[in-house]
This record gives sequence, C-alpha cells and structure tokens, in this order.
Amino acid sequence: MVKFIQKTDLLAWLEGIMRERTLVAPVKEEGVTRFRPVEKVADIVMDSGSTDLSAKDWFFPPSEVLFTMSKVDGQAVITPTTMAKEAVLFGLHPCDAQGIALMDLPFLAEPTDTIYAEKREKTTLVGLACRQACPECFCTSFGSSPFDSAGLDVLLIESGEGYIVQSTTPKGQKLLDSAKVTEANVEMPQPPAVNSVPIEGLVEIAPKLFNDAFWNRLADRCIHCNMCADVCPACYCFDIRDYTGKGGLVERVRTWESCQASGFTRIAGGYTPRPTKGARLRQRFYHKFLYMPKQLGKIGCTGCGRCVRVCPVNIDIREIITTMQKSGAKIGAGSS
Amino acid sequence: MAPVRPNPFIPFTARLKDSIELTPDVKLLRVELEDETVRNNLSYQPGQFAFVSAFGVGESPFGIASVAYQKDGLEFAIRRVGTVTNALHELEPGAIVGVRGPFGNYFPLDEYKGKNIVIIGGGIGMAPLRPVIRTILDNRQQYGQLTTIIGARSPSDLVFVNEYESWAKQPDSRLELTVDRGDANWKGRVALIPAVIKELQLSPDNAVAIICGPPIMIRFVLVELKALGFAPRQIVTTLEAKMKCGLGKCARCNVGEKYICQDGPVFRLDQITTFLEQF
Repeated sequence: MVKFIQKTDLLAWLEGIMRERTLVAPVKEEGVTRFRPVEKVADIVMDSGSTDLSAKDWFFPPSEVLFTMSKVDGQAVITPTTMAKEAVLFGLHPCDAQGIALMDLPFLAEPTDTIYAEKREKTTLVGLACRQACPECFCTSFGSSPFDSAGLDVLLIESGEGYIVQSTTPKGQKLLDSAKVTEANVEMPQPPAVNSVPIEGLVEIAPKLFNDAFWNRLADRCIHCNMCADVCPACYCFDIRDYTGKGGLVERVRTWESCQASGFTRIAGGYTPRPTKGARLRQRFYHKFLYMPKQLGKIGCTGCGRCVRVCPVNIDIREIITTMQKSGAKIGAGSS
Repeated sequence: MAPVRPNPFIPFTARLKDSIELTPDVKLLRVELEDETVRNNLSYQPGQFAFVSAFGVGESPFGIASVAYQKDGLEFAIRRVGTVTNALHELEPGAIVGVRGPFGNYFPLDEYKGKNIVIIGGGIGMAPLRPVIRTILDNRQQYGQLTTIIGARSPSDLVFVNEYESWAKQPDSRLELTVDRGDANWKGRVALIPAVIKELQLSPDNAVAIICGPPIMIRFVLVELKALGFAPRQIVTTLEAKMKCGLGKCARCNVGEKYICQDGPVFRLDQITTFLEQF
C-alpha cells in the first residue's frame, strides 16, 4: 500500500493552494517552459520533461528589485522587498531540487542574502519524479536520480491515474493536509535509466589542467551568448543596477550576469583581469568543478543537461568532464 | 562591524558634508551617516572598503580614506571614471548618498608594530593607504622607520598634496614623490615608481612593504622589491576587483576559491602567488 492521489484530486488540491498562496509551476510562455506564478491550474504544463529554464527562477529571478528609494520631504525613504504570501513551487524535478540546494550554499552562507532566505523559508517544494530521462541529463553522476526526493518537501511519482505521494518534511506534510490522499494498492513504477558520466577525480585534476591549451581551443567556438548560465540551475552570478522610474522612485535591481560576458571582471580604468574568451570559459568550469567544491563543498552542477541542450555551438559539459579526466589520466601516467 | 541589517543590500543613508577637489579628476567626499546610533557605533580599519550609492545611478566600492577614530565622517577619494563616480562628483554638499559597509579584511597594522614600513602608492591607490599612514603617524613610537613613496602620472594627479608636509616632518619618516611626466613647475623626480624603489635601495630587514596602485605598477614594484630581498611574506597589497555585492555572492570578484570582497581585499604576496589566475 502506498499513499496515492488521483489526478483530478491533485488539480483540486492545487486550486485550493492557489486561494491562499502563490502557486509557481511550469508554464509555456512564447514556446519556453519556465516556472511562473500561475493564475489557473489549467495553465500548468504537467508533463514538461525538463523545463527550458530551471526552477532557480523563483528564488533567484532574472531580475528582481532589492529595495526602492524615494525622497519624501528631503529625506530618503528606503523600502525593502519582502514576500507578501507564502508560496508553493510545484512540478520541479529532482535535479532542480539539487539545483536549489546548490543555490543555498552561496545565498544562505553568512552574510545571508535575506531576500533569498525569506523566499526559501516561505516556499514549499512539491516535486514531480521523472518518468522519462532527457537525452542530455546525467543527474546520477551527482548522487541524484529520477525518483530522488532529496531537498523536496513532497515528491509525486506518476502511476496510472494518479500519483504516489511521498512526503519527506513537516512542511510537506502540512501542505498535504488539504489533499485527498488515500492508501492505495498501486504499483511503484520503475525509474527510467539515466546516463551517467563519471566525475571521480575532477576536483583533484582541475588545477593541473589550468594552463592547458584545451580551454582556448574550446573557446574559439564560444559566441558568449551566456545561455549556459541562464539555463543553469547552479549559476548564481549577478549584477546590480539602479533604475529611476516615474516620480523619482529609485529601484535597485539585481539581474543575472554571466562570467562569459567580456565586461564581467572589468574594473574602473578599463583593466580586465580575465580578458580572453578562453579564460572566461575556463572560469565557468573551474568555478563549478574546483572553486565551488573547495569553498562551498559541492560541485556546481546537477547534471540536468540544459546547457548541453541550449548551447548553439555544442559545447558539452559532459565532454569537458570526460576530456579533463582523460587528460588527468595521461598526466598521472606521465608523472608516475 | 556594521550593526545587523535586515537586508544586506540596503545601504545606510548619509549626507554629503564636503566635496573637495584633489586633482582635476579626483574628489574627496566626506559623508556623514544619518542615523546617530549607527554613526556612533561605526568602526572600520585601514584597508576596508564600502559601497557608496548615488541613488538612481548605482553604487560602487571604494577604499575608505579616513580613520575611524577621527569620528568626523567617512571619507572617500573618488576618481571620475564611470557613471557612478561621475554622479558622485556632481553631488553638492547636503545631498543624500548611501553607504554600505565596511567590508573586507584590513592591513594588519598591529602585526607590523616595531617594523620598518614602506608604503608605495600609485595614483588613486593612495586612498586606502592614507588611513595606514595616519594610523602609523598617530602612533609614531610603535613603528620603525616610515618610508612613503608616492607616484602619479603628472604633478596635478598627486592626491592628498596638502598633507605631505605633515607626513614628511615626523621623526623617522621620509616621503619620496615621483611623477611619470613633469610640468613647468615640477622640480621633483620624474621616474616610474619601480625605478625609485631601485634608486632608494630599501632594506628588507625587519621591514614590510604595503602597496596599492594600478595592476601594472604593482607587477613591476614586486620585481624590484624581490630584487632587494623582500620575501613574499613581507609584501602586502590590496587588490581591486569588479564587485557588486560585497557579500561573497555575486562572484564578480571571484578568483580561485577566494572572493576578494570577503577574503580580501588585503592579501600578502605569498597568498596571492597561490592563486591559479593572475588578478
């Protein structure tokens, strides 16, 4: 016997959630599947596969106002951004839950990003298990799997006319109070097979390949469109700018930024410590494979495969991992 | 440390008290935090930095050019190089600005007590070194000889000129000025800073060298200091990097597993040489 919810009851449950909370779920906007607050349950793309943009958008959106400043009687009045309602993030897959766990590492580290922390605290994560593996994905390389509930408050596994319900946290249990969950004799489906890319030794080999010509060769075809960073659930670089609106209201806005952009490191006076495409492409992979593990304890990749799918010049993170390991093996053999 | 704020992106509001032209493109801005409690509790160390906001245009990080014990507002020497610095230059006394900080580590002046100090500053790089000089001169007996080498592109680009006399006349203190190009009134040295270091034959015995300036200057200064026998542990500098948050998150100043805003900006040379990448 397992806990089970019928598909119609699931939709009714989501309708109920929407009355009290913001429901964020995969929708299709101009051909792009992404996580957005939804107005009606019918808009939710239930079988989205892997969404084009990751679930990080809810916690770390492409642009968000950090605070506003207005002048009243010659005094500055600063209004911080706060979250009005609690939220439910619905329909994310296990790899995106891993992405949020990675995003937590920098944003919740001291000094805490309070805007991010508030959203994390007030959001319940209801995940959907993967019934199919994407051709590009390799989540098992990072310890996750299609039915992994890690980092989620509730995991739903599609089976027949409904979903098997797994609740792993008190937050998830509380949310399920309003759901029509029954005990049912439903067979647990088999998780789909996922391609795995061995990642052993990546952190150790990275420093030895820092000056390898490989990075410049690879960068020759990079057109620095930054798409890899936009779709990545673990990329967290950002920019901060001011905008002045009508009536002199100043908004300080945070937007996504990518280490692939030529001006990413440019300082006053024009000096750019990372002036070449090769150096910038290397930074992308070294931040993920070496700096994040050393500073925050985890490799900055979930194996979601989105960057593989969107890169217009076929720069493939899986090939890079394999190439680094092969080069490492050669160096290892040569030096021993 | 700054008092705990509900949101680390929100600056303290402050008023511009003075805006003094130091060179044709550098102004010294003195600002006073509006909240009295915050103002009285604010402490910072030489080498730390803060973000200054020109609301509506943006904020940028600047080394704090004042000393905390002076209790007379925060000072920033700001060179006009971009949109934010342009906006800050345009502000009149009384204008509202934002200040977020202090951030970063600082020059460990307590460790340097009893040592001979060599200070090398190029151009606007003198801004974070000014509180170092002041702290040493205000506690003169606790430190050994003080040699300050200041360079600029031209005589009119030298900053804090009206303070040089008080810096030079202290016991055991010398001040060496140099410019890349002289002008009709310039009677002093015309040379690059590395050449001056070579000329002065500074002794590395019981000494520490504190450097700030453009990256190219730092690179060649290091060559000369090494030639004189300065060990990497005796050389300390402050690194400039693109920064947006100051909180170790935006990753603009990320170099290796370090964030210059949190782990720096002050680094000893033996720490910098462990970086895979040159910054």
